[in-house]
Amino acid sequence: MSRTIFTVVEKCVACKSCEIACAVEHSRSKTLAGAILETPPPQRRISVEGVGAYNYPSRCQHCADAACITACPTGAMQRDGGTDKVFSDHDKCIGCWMCVVVCPFGGVTADPVGKKAVKCDGCPERTARGEAPACVAACPTDTLLYLTPEEFAAQRRQATAKAAVCGGESATPNGMDILRSLKRTH
Amino acid sequence: MKIVIIGNGPAAVSAAETLRQQDRDCEIVMLSRESVPFYSPCPLAEYVEGSVPKAHLFLRDRDFYARTGIDIRYARPVTRIEPQARQVWAEGEAVAYDRLLIASGSRAFVPPVPGLAGTRGVFELKTLGDAEAILERIGIARRAVVIGSGFIGLEAVQALVRRGLEVTLLEAREQVLPAMLDGEMAALVERRLVEHGVQVRTGCGAERILEGADGVRAVLAGGVEIPCELVICAAGVHADLSILEGSGIAANRGILVDKRMRTSVEGVFAAGDVIERPDAPEKHRIVPNWPNAVSTGRIAAWNMLGVVRRHPGLEAVNVVRVFDLPIASFGVQTGDSCLRWQDGRGAVRKVLLKEGRLAGGQLIGEINGTGVLHEMMKKGTAVERFGTHLAHPGFGYIHTLEPLRAVKWA
Repeated sequence: MSRTIFTVVEKCVACKSCEIACAVEHSRSKTLAGAILETPPPQRRISVEGVGAYNYPSRCQHCADAACITACPTGAMQRDGGTDKVFSDHDKCIGCWMCVVVCPFGGVTADPVGKKAVKCDGCPERTARGEAPACVAACPTDTLLYLTPEEFAAQRRQATAKAAVCGGESATPNGMDILRSLKRTH
Repeated sequence: MKIVIIGNGPAAVSAAETLRQQDRDCEIVMLSRESVPFYSPCPLAEYVEGSVPKAHLFLRDRDFYARTGIDIRYARPVTRIEPQARQVWAEGEAVAYDRLLIASGSRAFVPPVPGLAGTRGVFELKTLGDAEAILERIGIARRAVVIGSGFIGLEAVQALVRRGLEVTLLEAREQVLPAMLDGEMAALVERRLVEHGVQVRTGCGAERILEGADGVRAVLAGGVEIPCELVICAAGVHADLSILEGSGIAANRGILVDKRMRTSVEGVFAAGDVIERPDAPEKHRIVPNWPNAVSTGRIAAWNMLGVVRRHPGLEAVNVVRVFDLPIASFGVQTGDSCLRWQDGRGAVRKVLLKEGRLAGGQLIGEINGTGVLHEMMKKGTAVERFGTHLAHPGFGYIHTLEPLRAVKWA
C-alpha cells in the first residue's frame, strides 16, 4: 500500500505551520522569503479549523468517488493516474466554483485573485522524491503523518496498548497537554 | 446486448463510459442531435467572451469514440420512440435497441414574444452552434439585449460586456436571479451589474422584437424601444419531451424516473437534464446542472446492465459569477429562520433553517464552505447547536465532528 496523509486530531495545537509550509510549497520560489514577496501571494490548501478547544487541519480527502470530479464541467478536476490524488489543472479551470459548492469537506476553496479552484494536490514533486508532503514535514506535533495504512494502524494499536498498560494515561501527550505543559514551565 | 443512447452530452457520455468500463462486449450506439463531438456547454459564455479557447470545450480526445467502441452517429435527431418494437427513429432510420437511455438534455425556453423565434440576430446560448453564431454577430453588433437573468443570462451579459458591447438586461420578474436569490441578495447582484455599465430592467419583459434590414434592430420592452443589434434569449431551459409522443413514457415537466433512472416503460432509462424525480421534494425534482447529469448518467448505466444502484437525489446547488463576484445558492429560499453573516465589504452569507435543519442558503462574495453546508442539508443534520456559527465562513467540516470528540475528551 502506498503512503498517504493521516491526521491524529488530538495532537493539533493550531500552530498553522502546515498552512505556511503548504503555501510555500505551492509558491514559485518555494522559499518562505520568496513566497512572501510574490504577487499574487501563494495560497495554502490546508486550513486549521478550530471548534472551542479542538483543532483540525482540514484539507482534501482525495475521495474515491470525488464529488468535485463529477461536478467539474471543464475536465480540470481529475485524478492523477500515478499518485491517485485528485488535482485541478489550472489551465483548464475556469473558476466556476462548482467544485467548491459540492465538496462536503470544504477541501476545495475559491482563490478570488487567481480565479482558480485551489486544493491539496498531495505535493507530487515532493512525494516523487520520496519526501513527505510539505504539511507533514512541517508539522511539529506529529498531528499529520505520512504513512501506509498498515503503519498507521500499527502505530495507533501500540499507542492504545501503551495507554492501557500505563493505567489509562496516554503515553503520548496530546496537543492540549503540550500547551498546558508549556504554560507551566513559564 | 445493444444499448442505444439518445444524446451526446455529459449524461450520455458518462453513461457510455460506465457501460464500457463494466461491459466490454455490449454494443453502444449514440444518436447525437448535433454534429460535433462531446463538449461542455458550461464554459460557452467564456468561449464567447474569449477567455476559453475552443479546444478546451472538448473534454475527450479525438479517438475517444473509436477507442471506447462507441458507434457515434452525428446529426441524428430522434423523432420517435417505439418501445413495443424496441426501436427509435432518427432521420428516417430505425435503430433497434435492447436498452434505451434518453439523455437528450434540455432546450432553451423561448417565450411567446413576437419575433423572438426566427429573427436574424436573436440567439440562445445553449449549444456550441449558438456560441459560434453569436461570435459571428458580435462583429457587427454594438448594443445587445439579454432576455432573462438566470445563469445563462448573467453569463451572457458578462461575456458581451467584456466584448465591449452596451448591454441591457431584461427580467420579467421583479429581481435578477429569481430562482436563486431573495430580493435583498438580488439587489447586491444588480448593483454589481450596474457598476459594470449594464442597464438592468427588472419587472420588464420583452414585448416584441423589431426587425430591420440587417436582422434585429430593437427590442420593445415596457413600452420603450431598446435599440440593439444582438439579442440573447436566456429565459430558462426545459426538457424537450416531443420525442416521447406515442411512446407511452410517462412525463410531467421532465421524464419521470425512479431512483434507478428507470422510466415507466421497461427497458427505457433516462438521465440528465431531461429527467424529473416525482418522489423528491419540489426543489429537487428537476435540477438541470452538470453534476446531476454526470451522476444520473452513471446510475442509469449500472441499472441498464442489471446492477441495482440507486441515486441519492439530485443536488439542488448552483453557483454563478457576475463580474468575478461569486454567488452560490442551495436548497430552498424560504425557512423558519435565517442566519446571516456579512463582512461589510460586499460579502453576505444567509443560511435558512427549517425545524432545526438546514433548508437552504444563499452566499455572495464568500462561498468557501458552501459544500459543507450543502452536505449537512442533504444529510438532515440537526444544526441548532451550531448557532450563528453556521453562517460564518469559518464553519467547516470539523464542526460536524464536535460531539464525537467531546465524548472522547470527557
